[in-house]
Amino acid sequence: MSDLPSIEMQDVRVVHPRNPGVTLIEEVGWVVRPGEFWVVAGLQGSGKTVLLETAAGLTPQGGGSVRLFGEEVQGGQRDEGEASGVRRRLGLLFDGNGRLFPSLNVFENIALPWCYHRNASLADAAEALAPLLEYLQLDRLLDQRPGRLGRAWARRVALGRALATGPELLLLDNPLSGLDMAHIRWWRTFLSDASRGHAALGGRPLTLIAASEELRPLLVPGRRFALAHNGRWRVLGSTEDVLSARGDDGVRELLGDND
Amino acid sequence: MESITTTFSRSAVRRVGNRFAPALIEALETLTRLAAFTLITLGTAWTRFGQNSRVIRPRIVDEIHRSGVRLLPIVGFLGAALGVVFVGQTIDLMQQVGASGFTGTLIVTVFIRELAPLTAGLVVLARVGTATVIELGTARALGEVEALEALGIDPIHYLVLPRVVGFTISVISLTVYLMLLTLGCGYLFAFARGLRETPGEFFGGIAAALSWIDFPLLALKTGGFGAIIGLVICYHGLARPLTLEEVGQATTRTVAQCVVACLLLDAVFILLYLIA
Repeated sequence: MSDLPSIEMQDVRVVHPRNPGVTLIEEVGWVVRPGEFWVVAGLQGSGKTVLLETAAGLTPQGGGSVRLFGEEVQGGQRDEGEASGVRRRLGLLFDGNGRLFPSLNVFENIALPWCYHRNASLADAAEALAPLLEYLQLDRLLDQRPGRLGRAWARRVALGRALATGPELLLLDNPLSGLDMAHIRWWRTFLSDASRGHAALGGRPLTLIAASEELRPLLVPGRRFALAHNGRWRVLGSTEDVLSARGDDGVRELLGDND
Repeated sequence: MESITTTFSRSAVRRVGNRFAPALIEALETLTRLAAFTLITLGTAWTRFGQNSRVIRPRIVDEIHRSGVRLLPIVGFLGAALGVVFVGQTIDLMQQVGASGFTGTLIVTVFIRELAPLTAGLVVLARVGTATVIELGTARALGEVEALEALGIDPIHYLVLPRVVGFTISVISLTVYLMLLTLGCGYLFAFARGLRETPGEFFGGIAAALSWIDFPLLALKTGGFGAIIGLVICYHGLARPLTLEEVGQATTRTVAQCVVACLLLDAVFILLYLIA
């Protein structure tokens, strides 16, 4: 694994994608090293989703520099090969139902990036992606259209699509929101497998970033935390640092201690 | 008196200017953006046409099926109707006025060069084009384009290129199909009404009225209609972020701009025919 940071953001101004005059988060300075697990916490509308999209080079930043695997990226510009190569090294799980393609079935959704980048057929993909599909427990849903899936399963399909190309870095937008306990348990196991490395997920530990509106479900030792609150960016540090910052308004709200 | 007239004309010019200048500027901006979008698509076609063929080729085949094969019944119906309404009656009329020798020239000039390509293009626009703008606009509004980019898939390569190629091939093929059916039905109608020409004589007359230049120009013209329709549709569906509320307006704009663009291209080809 390379020593270069997976993501490096310097003085980045995170702006609204449709209205660049509106700043969502000021002065983001953030370095994500390979193998780290970061939790980016913030209330709804705090700009976490746009922050992830900016980090992935999908949304242009208002200012500052974003480097992905050491390469400067500027969101909103057309993919001309190199950017596409960098993006292939990351997976992004979108919020909600994961923005699946409704005209493709579950298997085609997951296999699309794999087939596209390898110029391979669906039959080749079926063989290569079998361990991943088994891990995701999606075997019985492969012929279904995304519109017929519930949110929890749609999100798991979107996770499969993000993992299909074997990314080194996985960005997850609100992975646990709106799930029942059984699915939350599955996701916790997945996060820990991905962080440690699992055969079905490529064998090596993934660098993980999870955006969340709640801190508590992700408060696990060994992870690092950052906070987007009132347009400000703060790196909180380790789990212990978060617990010791309980007096802070932003942290208290995200821990649910106000209740 | 003179100053009143001058003041009146100036204010009239200002009123007309105020009314039309913004529309003209907007039209020029749209044209510029559309030209940029066309160049990007051509660049993608040039650099990536053979790439990722196992994913892109089935998509082109799907598009040909959607915008070509599935339209065969409606184009067949139109062909039969045009055969009776236009070709059959033209033959009848030309016989009545004793100008049967000019029937082939009239059919080639009016139907083969003009009416058939435009009809095929407009059918594709109406039946598939509008649905495609809604489909692409909704995909854009729901963030599916960003999802493709996040997967390292070029949306122009994956979404636009198959549609433009598919529409181009479909309009060319449907035009040929429409021509054959219209001429066939027209001859049968005229035969039933007492036409004394054999099929060989009738089709020979049309073939004689065609020149060699008609074939490349017709291929370019029909292909041009298909490409224009595909490009304008994809531009309005994808080029800028849409909200779900804006998808309907984008569809209306697309239809109007496609019709105008096809007619302008048609005018260019009329000039080419006149020069040739």
